[in-house]
Amino acid sequence: MELWLDGNAIAGLLADALGEDVTATERHCPHCGDDWALGAYRAYRGAGMVLRCPGCGTPGLRVVETVEGFSVAWGADPAR
Amino acid sequence: MAGAALLERLTVARAPVVWRLARVRAVEEAAEAAVTIVLDVDDWPGHAAGQHVDVRLTAEDGYQAQRSYSIASAPEDPGLALTVERIDDGEVSPYLAGELREGDEFELRGPVGGHFTWRVQDGGPLLLVAGGSGFVPLRAMLRHRAAQGSDVDSRLLVSARGWEHVLYRDELSSFGDVHVHVTLTREQPPGWSGSARRVDAEMLRELGPGPEERPRVFVCGPTAFVERAADLLVELGHHPAAIHAERFGPTGR
Repeated sequence: MELWLDGNAIAGLLADALGEDVTATERHCPHCGDDWALGAYRAYRGAGMVLRCPGCGTPGLRVVETVEGFSVAWGADPAR
Repeated sequence: MAGAALLERLTVARAPVVWRLARVRAVEEAAEAAVTIVLDVDDWPGHAAGQHVDVRLTAEDGYQAQRSYSIASAPEDPGLALTVERIDDGEVSPYLAGELREGDEFELRGPVGGHFTWRVQDGGPLLLVAGGSGFVPLRAMLRHRAAQGSDVDSRLLVSARGWEHVLYRDELSSFGDVHVHVTLTREQPPGWSGSARRVDAEMLRELGPGPEERPRVFVCGPTAFVERAADLLVELGHHPAAIHAERFGPTGR
């Protein structure tokens, strides 16, 4: 079984990275067209956190904590 | 950049998520190896039932550990309550659920988590499914419902290993007209009249309400429990978007 949590569960980390609690905010997935709250996205821990669309699994947001702060990338592109 | 456009659309005024000092007002037993910690929090902004907080403990040498805990109290309750289950090889829970005393202090921030919330004005029917300590945020919802005098059709399914592991046992009959069903998966006391098996489709169908009544569904518990319950609910015909799920597990921070 893959280990993942809900975006809702990492609301604190997301607030660290984005400055506010975004879990109730809906995001439109350009890949499958579904609209889901970021709190319903699936949060996978890798090199940072990846939030994947619950409809199709496409990454929608990556958050990587670095010594300088947070690197945030929306969409399927890797964080830079 | 798409992200910037999205963020611009999110500019609903929200309180910044800052760390606050919490003082322990009382520690109460919630079940075997679980306690409810009632806190006074400086400038607590209030919360919605279902939200959680991040707790940060700092050791004398500066080492910090951070965990998320669901809020167990209703917004109307005096004091902010967290229920913590002691995990014996845990780093934080043995302290919170074993050593914490009245007057102790630690930091917390929140409330956070705007997706797994229920307010009486959201309406119902309400279908709440709890696995183990997943009962915590659902208890907040039921206390909120009772405090508001709401008569929203509400059903609660609680799954636990044994009766002594059911949180808030003494409160089960005090939520008002809520249909409560308990299943004990490993051990049942003599004369047990509830279910004695893992959550299955038949149990959920009997509990209701059915998908045609379009209930708001909240499922909370360990990842495997939530996955299973959510899959069963979708098979019964509930719309995936109507099912709010909160999984407990390591966030790896």
